Amino acid sequence: MTSTPVLLNRILVGILGIKLLAVGVFLVLLATVPAVATWWHSWSADAWLGINQAFNDTRFPGRPESWLWIVLVLVTLLLMGLMVAWAAQQGKGRTNLLVSGDDAGEVAGDVRIGGGVAEQALKHALAERPDLAAATVATYEVNGRPALKVRLLPRQGVAPHLLAAEVATLVEALDAVVGQRTPVLIHIGAGARTRFSRAERVR
Amino acid sequence: MSASDKQRVLYRETHSSRAVVAALAAVLVVVLCAYGLLESAVHAIGQPAWLIEPQTAAERLVALPAGVPPLLLGALGAVLAMIGLFFLLNAVLPGRRARHVLNGERVRADPRSVPEADGGALSRGGTADGWDSPAVVVDDEVIASALARRARLAANVTPEQVMVVVSRHQVVVNVRPTSGVPLEEAAVLAAVEDELGEMALVPAPEVRVNLSSTGVIGA
Repeated sequence: MTSTPVLLNRILVGILGIKLLAVGVFLVLLATVPAVATWWHSWSADAWLGINQAFNDTRFPGRPESWLWIVLVLVTLLLMGLMVAWAAQQGKGRTNLLVSGDDAGEVAGDVRIGGGVAEQALKHALAERPDLAAATVATYEVNGRPALKVRLLPRQGVAPHLLAAEVATLVEALDAVVGQRTPVLIHIGAGARTRFSRAERVR
Repeated sequence: MSASDKQRVLYRETHSSRAVVAALAAVLVVVLCAYGLLESAVHAIGQPAWLIEPQTAAERLVALPAGVPPLLLGALGAVLAMIGLFFLLNAVLPGRRARHVLNGERVRADPRSVPEADGGALSRGGTADGWDSPAVVVDDEVIASALARRARLAANVTPEQVMVVVSRHQVVVNVRPTSGVPLEEAAVLAAVEDELGEMALVPAPEVRVNLSSTGVIGA
């Protein structure tokens, strides 16, 4: 729930946006303002000469190719790798363990309870309710500790605070079974399934 | 888990993480890089270029206003600027989602019903100080449909005659009364405000009720 790199996303997306915007505005100016075109001609000719010079200076001895090409290819590959790594960071944070701790009793060993226990128990308890179109439960890691995210899709007209209070009692029952208080986020949402379903009248 | 963790999670849930836009941007850059690599590789093994030789592309770029119709160049620039603006605005704007936080204090069912310190319990490494009650986030659409139901019952009209719009700081309730049946604005307002008070939303929106001057016949 909190593992997506929000600040990094904003910065990188912003950089890309500024670059594309600058290139776009420059192309429009180039097409419309003649003064910009003359400036670009003089500047780009110089730059082109400089780049050619750089490639000529960096040839392998005795061969026509420049090793600058290899550097360029490596930089491009690195950039692609970084982009893939960045995309892979989105929406991370799921975990499998709900409880992982030392049993205070005399038997040696740890106690581990999988997140599936909470997910299945809550899902089953919520499945029978007529005022819910759907419910999903997932275990996430927040600051290295497990937390539950309950996503509810109520039918139209269901009062969210009453629904939340009833789910809170379910969660407390689960806490009693597991023996540890688990932080819970309840998200009461709307989707296509609730929008076109009939309103809940009997409640 | 502390109260600050809870606040952080609530902030994350009510604001966009820009994950989709970030993935889009990453894919865009990867595709551009891959195309550059492809053309270089084709050039390096001496095959004809797929779309354009790197050398020719650079030369065309240097000579730019010439060689391309100005209309095409301007349109291309405008499209690029639009895409850039889309990414930039996504990064700069606060990215609030249409959601409200339900006040957690009311949601807490009964703090005493959880086992505190019975002998064989697991060592409580993760005592949830500050995050006792579940954090609750509600889509504005759900709030609107709940309020619409309440307003409909208070006004005694059909569901089609009530429309509720929930924004961050305001709730607008539009009611079209049935022709010939008087309707009290105060009653609808009181009902909606009562429901909102029970929800205890953060930030708390203020309510406005609009009674339509024309009625519905035969409802």
